[in-house]
Amino acid sequence: MREYLREELGKVPADYAEVRWEEVQRSRVQFQRDQLLALEASKEAGGIVRALVDGAWGIAVFTDPGEIPARLREATELARTAARRIRDRISLAPVEPIEDRVEAQLQEDFREVPLEEKRRLTEGYNKLLLDYHHEIVSTSVRYTDTLRRIVYANTEGTYIEQELPDVTLLLVAVARRNGNIQQAFVSLGEAAGYEFAKGHEEEALKVAKRAVELLSAESVKGGRYTVVLDQELAGVFIHEAFGHICEADFLLRNPPMRAVMRLGKRFGVEALNVVEEGYIPGRRGNLPYDDEGVRRRKIYLIKEGVLVGLMHSRATAARMGMEPTGNARAVSWEHEPIVRMRNTYIEPGESSFEELLSGIDYGIYAVGAFGGQTEFEQFTFSAQYAYEIKGGELGKMLRDVVLTGNVFETLRNIEMLGNDFQLKGGAGGCGKDGQSPLPVTDGAPHVRIRDVIVGGR
Amino acid sequence: MGILERAAAVAKEAELYEEFREGIAVSFRGGELEKVKSEAVLGRALRVIVDGKLGFASTAGEEEEPLVEAALASAQHGDPAPFSFPPLGGEARVEVLDPGITALGPEELLSWGEEAVQEIKRAFPEVVLDVHLARGTTEIHIANTSGGERSEKRSYLDMGLEIQRIREGDVWLIWLSRSVRRRDDLDPKSLVNKALTYLEWGRETAEPPTGTPPVLFLPEGMVVLLLPLMLGFSGLSVHLGTSPLAGKLGQEVFDRRLTLVDQGTLPYGPRSASFDDEGVPTGTLTLVEEGVVQSFFHDLRSAALAGVEPTGNGLKGGLFGTSFRNPPSPGPRNLLVSPGEGSLEDLIREMREGIIVEGVIGLGQGNVQSGAFSNNVGVGFVVRNGKVVGRLKNTMIAGNAYQVLRHGIKAIGGDAEWCYGTYKASAFLVEGVSVVARG
Repeated sequence: MREYLREELGKVPADYAEVRWEEVQRSRVQFQRDQLLALEASKEAGGIVRALVDGAWGIAVFTDPGEIPARLREATELARTAARRIRDRISLAPVEPIEDRVEAQLQEDFREVPLEEKRRLTEGYNKLLLDYHHEIVSTSVRYTDTLRRIVYANTEGTYIEQELPDVTLLLVAVARRNGNIQQAFVSLGEAAGYEFAKGHEEEALKVAKRAVELLSAESVKGGRYTVVLDQELAGVFIHEAFGHICEADFLLRNPPMRAVMRLGKRFGVEALNVVEEGYIPGRRGNLPYDDEGVRRRKIYLIKEGVLVGLMHSRATAARMGMEPTGNARAVSWEHEPIVRMRNTYIEPGESSFEELLSGIDYGIYAVGAFGGQTEFEQFTFSAQYAYEIKGGELGKMLRDVVLTGNVFETLRNIEMLGNDFQLKGGAGGCGKDGQSPLPVTDGAPHVRIRDVIVGGR
Repeated sequence: MGILERAAAVAKEAELYEEFREGIAVSFRGGELEKVKSEAVLGRALRVIVDGKLGFASTAGEEEEPLVEAALASAQHGDPAPFSFPPLGGEARVEVLDPGITALGPEELLSWGEEAVQEIKRAFPEVVLDVHLARGTTEIHIANTSGGERSEKRSYLDMGLEIQRIREGDVWLIWLSRSVRRRDDLDPKSLVNKALTYLEWGRETAEPPTGTPPVLFLPEGMVVLLLPLMLGFSGLSVHLGTSPLAGKLGQEVFDRRLTLVDQGTLPYGPRSASFDDEGVPTGTLTLVEEGVVQSFFHDLRSAALAGVEPTGNGLKGGLFGTSFRNPPSPGPRNLLVSPGEGSLEDLIREMREGIIVEGVIGLGQGNVQSGAFSNNVGVGFVVRNGKVVGRLKNTMIAGNAYQVLRHGIKAIGGDAEWCYGTYKASAFLVEGVSVVARG
């Protein structure tokens, strides 16, 4: 493959070109109540080429490996078409050419586990949920594993072969009492072997219990509260509300937003540190190199409350006079790399959970993430469930808790950071520019924030 | 020997689905050309029934033998198939291919993009603008052992605008899109004009009335109320008991002014097709007639479980996309919400004091199945004395779609529009939605 790609890349009449060819092995088992909706162990392959001509990108996606030379020519032609019209030309920050080969290190290789066994495991979780209580009317239980084998080569001499494993488990219980339908779930993912999917029986039972409890939980009353976020929700908050606006491709041609996201500007309290870390083995979406062949590094986005870094691809780094950070990622062979997060987290503080609760007359403890979305400074994210905080103590369970606000105000309103850090990957992933779900992890300690607006009835 | 024949040598029944996507796309970011992209992607899925048990596998690329092996291996450990693959053919052909779209080259798409940037920047030089344009075809080929095979090439043309208006401490994002199957159904100018109207309305920020003021959902904003229904009318959700509509067939569940039809046969409808992803002919399915639940949409599985006929709604993908990688599940085609009367201006005058919702942040979060919604308003406006006085900021709406569509409809507008390439609806003026704002 190496010599072949090198030879074909050598013939391309472009300023720069690259080829990424991926072979993917994946399996999936999915139950919904008593229905086995998916049971599959399949393979697929596909590729993408990019060519840069006079500062313009041409890209071609294909599934026939025999077409690599033709697609390189096509991408070059498309780039040439774009170059005739482009005004703001793209250049790439220099990086050292790399040759490397990285194999997945799996404790228990899921490719060797029979599909039958994966079905048995998934069905076991499903049965635990269904049998828990008569008010559990449905479930959704999904196991997936994926091994992406990525071959990457570019005209600068970089050639990398990498293997990226990913295992996910999603357990959802749906409870119903007359017209009242509630759901609870746990969503897990790691760049690991089959061992990661096993042994979650206790979590499954907790999910079922919670779904039933939510039937009797009160809907939160909308208003403004002091809120304590659990680690998962705080992690989603930092990813969604702040992480995305630190992606340099978003800022590149956006002068007003660049002015807002000025390096050196204070965004939060002194105790706030936010990290974007490239390569933590075993965590989701991690590889030593990104999809432009750039070695990944750890960067601080916020250090002691001040913005100190942004995430870059080679193009954004060149444009902003920075170093590439290894954040150019593609969700699959169908897509070109764009600036994405990897492991994004708030570093822990010093407070215990009790200290976080103390002094709150009436507030909300919001737990688990249903999802989150931002439109720049505006964010909305939903808690899976919540408890009221009354006189510094946890009270009754609440549901329908949706938190919203302005990220800059919210960061300034962080009052305390817990000492109980947790980094977690889910079974879903991050979405951006039509590329979803990209495996990522988010992390944080418990975080206490004042004046958070909570939607409700 | 072809894939189907090889599978059929072992399996009693087999079905091969092939999808070939071919197209080009261009993107502008921050008003500048960013990329031109082409794709030529072949995806396949194979379903088999061996000893009564269902197996599934999917692949991209050229490899045929592993696909057959994978499907047969899946069937070994599969569950009994509640259905058989249907004989193919006999459906009326729906018009879904416009040669005018395949004739469009990158130059035309680039020109449309440049014009959109220029027109919007001329009126609002301060905005940051992303434009996406894509055109192409998806060719579907389905063959099964019950006899026959079907092919259909469908064209698509998409345009999306993402407008960011950024002021100190105030960032506003407007996202507009159109998806069509026919060249003449896309008018880039009308999309641009809509953007200009919203930017004009939103020049200033205004304080919204709170509590439960009248809320006017524009056609795009109707997704907040329609998304729970798209899930709730799924025959599978009904069978599994996760839909609030389970057991409600024949009952009056909605306001009598609500009629909802799922039509797969609409000529050049954005989700139209002659047959679904299981080869079942599409049709016209009345879901709600004058408030009464009439039917649910089904794929082969849910139809067999419910003991009814499949409705041509077996789709390999979610609500807004499709992929050869997914087994089919029931999904809507073109959802048509019957219009009322009166223009948008009439509705705005009629509401006097209230808010307009065009788009929300965090759609689909939370307990959507139950109909509950609780969203930050992304694009919304404040109405005072029957006039739009500015845009909403930091405002959340919350309610339940089923309750709003039963008790809360005050008026339905007359001008229906296509939204997200999924449904066609007009604006709804409703009450019973709570509005929380932070000053």
